[in-house]
Amino acid sequence: METFLQVAVNGLMLGGLFAIVAVGLTLIFGIVKVINFAHGEFLMVGMYATFLLTTGLGMHPYVTAAAVVPILFVIGALTQRFIIQPLLAAHDEHIQIFATVGISTALINLALLLFGADIMSTPSYGLRSSIEIGSVRILTGQAVIFVAASVLVFGLHLFMSRTLWGRAIRAVAQNRAAAQLMGINVDRVYVLTFGIGAACVGLAASLVAPLYPTSPTTGTYFVLTAFVVVVLGGLGSLGGAFVGAMVIGLIDSLAGFYIGSDLREVAVFAVFLLILILKPSGLFGKQLNLSHVSP
Amino acid sequence: MRFVHYLKATVAAATLLTAPAAMADVQFGALYPFSGQLALLGEESFRGLEIAVDEINAAGGVQGETVVLARGDAVDNNQAIGEARRLISREEVVAIFGTYSSSRSIAASQVAELAGIPYFELGAVADEVTGRGFENLYRTNPTAEDMGKMIVDMIVDVVAPGVGREPGDLKIGIIHEDSSYGTSVAQHQQNYGEEAGLNIVTTQAYPASTVDMSSLVLDLKQRGVDVVLQTSYQNDSVLFLQQANEAEFQPAAIIGGGGGYSMQPTADAVGHDVIDGVLNVDFTQYLVNTEFTPGLEEFVQAYQEKYGESPRSGHSLNNYVGAKAILQALDEADGFSPEEIKSTVEAIDVPEGETAAGYGVKFGENNQNERASMMGLQWQDGKLVTVYPEAAAAAEVEFTN
Repeated sequence: METFLQVAVNGLMLGGLFAIVAVGLTLIFGIVKVINFAHGEFLMVGMYATFLLTTGLGMHPYVTAAAVVPILFVIGALTQRFIIQPLLAAHDEHIQIFATVGISTALINLALLLFGADIMSTPSYGLRSSIEIGSVRILTGQAVIFVAASVLVFGLHLFMSRTLWGRAIRAVAQNRAAAQLMGINVDRVYVLTFGIGAACVGLAASLVAPLYPTSPTTGTYFVLTAFVVVVLGGLGSLGGAFVGAMVIGLIDSLAGFYIGSDLREVAVFAVFLLILILKPSGLFGKQLNLSHVSP
Repeated sequence: MRFVHYLKATVAAATLLTAPAAMADVQFGALYPFSGQLALLGEESFRGLEIAVDEINAAGGVQGETVVLARGDAVDNNQAIGEARRLISREEVVAIFGTYSSSRSIAASQVAELAGIPYFELGAVADEVTGRGFENLYRTNPTAEDMGKMIVDMIVDVVAPGVGREPGDLKIGIIHEDSSYGTSVAQHQQNYGEEAGLNIVTTQAYPASTVDMSSLVLDLKQRGVDVVLQTSYQNDSVLFLQQANEAEFQPAAIIGGGGGYSMQPTADAVGHDVIDGVLNVDFTQYLVNTEFTPGLEEFVQAYQEKYGESPRSGHSLNNYVGAKAILQALDEADGFSPEEIKSTVEAIDVPEGETAAGYGVKFGENNQNERASMMGLQWQDGKLVTVYPEAAAAAEVEFTN
C-alpha cells in the first residue's frame, strides 16, 4: 500500500510537470490552432536562460522567472508576428506546421552551436530535497511545480473567461472571420495569444530547470507528451489539459512500476487512443468544429 | 604599394602552400557526426584522428606523402551514406576513418563496401558493425560484447569480493535505454552473466528521452537489487542516479556501461558525493597506470596544445590509437590501392600494453580487432579512475556501503 501511494504520488508529480509544460501549448495549439512543434524548444530556450541567469548572476532559479517569462513572451510574439502571420495568408495551414518544425530545428542547432551538446545543470538551491508526508516522499521542486501548474491553469481560466482580451481570444478561436467582422483585431489577438503561450513555457522553464539537466534536445523529451496532454484534455480546454496531464502522469508511473518500464509508453498511448475512440473531442472538449479552416 | 606588396605575398604564400600539396598528398576521409545531436562526441572522436594525422605528418607522412583529411558530416544515417559517396567519388579518398555512432557506421560502410574502399571504424561499438561479413570494413576499437563481458568480469572479480559475498548471491538488476546501444550491451550482460552463474532478477528497457525514472527505481528497490547495471546516455544516467539517491535506494554497486557514466558533466550534475563509488566500464580513459598505456601522456599533451583544453572523453584517445596503428602500418606499404591497404593492415600485429589505449591491434574474425578491450573504472572524488584490470589500475577500488 505504501509503495502504491508512493508510485501514485510520483505519477501526480510527473503530471504536474507535464501540465506546466502543456499549459502554454493549450493556448497556442488548442486555441489559436497553430501546431507549434517548436514548443519544446521554447522550453529549452527558457531553461538555458534560467541556467545562465542562475549561474551568472547567482539568482535563485525561481527569481529568474521575472526575466525569463517576458523574454519568452517576446520570442513567442515575434515568432507569431514575423513567421506564422505571413504564412496565415498561405491558405494552407500545413505550411505553418513546417515553419514551426524549421524553428525547432534551428533552435536546437543554435543551442548546439552556443552551448555544445553537453548537459548544463542549473543549481538546485535545495529544490531536490524531499519532503516526507507520512511514508510518501516528494521533492520540494516537484511540489512547487504541481502548485504552480494548478494556479497557472486557474489564473488563465479567469483571464480567458473574465477579461475582454480573453473573450477576444476565444472569439477568434471559434471563428476567425466572424471575430474580425465584430471588430476584433485578429492579428493582434494571435500575437498576444502566442506570446502568452510562450510566456507560460518560460515560467515552466524556470521551475523545471533546477530539477532537470538542460541540453539542446531537452525540449524534444517533453513536446510529444505535451501534445498528447492537450489533445487528451480536449483542444483548448485548460482544465482538461490539467486533468489530461494527471492521467498521463499516473498511467506512466503506475505502468512503469506494475507492468515494466519498457511498456509504460505502450500503456500511456493505449489509454490515450482508447479515450479518443470513446470520446473523440477529448476529456473536456466541446464538439469539434472546423472553424479554424474558415478563411 | 602596400596593397600590391600584400598581394604578392599572398600569391607567393598560396603557391607555396598549394604547390607541394597538389603533388604529394594522400587523402583520407573522416566521417563523423559533426553537427546534430551526436556532434559533441563525434567531434571529440575526430580530434583523436586529427592528432594521429598531425603526428604522422610531422614524422614524414605516410610513404613520404602528407596525409590530408577530407571531412564528411554524418549528421544522420542518410547523410552518412551521402557523405560516404561524396568522399569516395568526388574527393577520391583512399580509405575512410570514422564514425563514433554505430548506426552511422553501419549505413556509411555499405557504400564503402560496394565501392571497394577500405573503411576503418575507430569508435562505434555495436556488434553489427563487424558482424555483417564485410570485406572492406575493419574495426580497431572494443565492442558492446567486450563491454558486457568486462562488466560481468568486474562483478565476479571486484564487486563480489569487495562486498564480501559470493557472485551468485548478488541480485543483479539490468536497466538500459532501449535503442540498439543499450539493448545489445544488456543482451551481452545477460549472456555472460548467466554463463558466470549470476542471479539476474530483472532486465528493463526504457526510452532514453524519459523524464522520470522513479517507478523504475522503486521497482529495483522493492526487488532488493544489490548490483544495478545501467547502459545509458547522459540524461537518463543523471536521472537514475539522482532519483535513486532521493529514494534512498543504495545498492552495493552501480555499474554503468559507458555513455553518460563516462562524462564529467554527469558527475557535476548529480553531485560528486552521489556519484562517488559508482563503477563503469568504457574505453580506456586518462586516469590509468601509464606504464600499461605508453604514449598516453604525449597524446594528452598534444591534445591540450592543439585544442586548448583537456580531452573530454576517451573517444579521442581510442580514435587516435586506431588511426595511428593503421597509418603507421601503411607507411610500410607500397602505394594506396585498396588491395595493398587491406593486405597491409591485415598483417598488423601490435601486442597488448604497447599502445596509448593499452590494448593491442590484430584483426581477427570479421576484421574485428581481437585484442581490443575495455577497462573498469570508478568515480572517486569526482574523477573517473581506472581500477580494473590490475595491470592498468591507477587506484584501488573503493566500497563505501
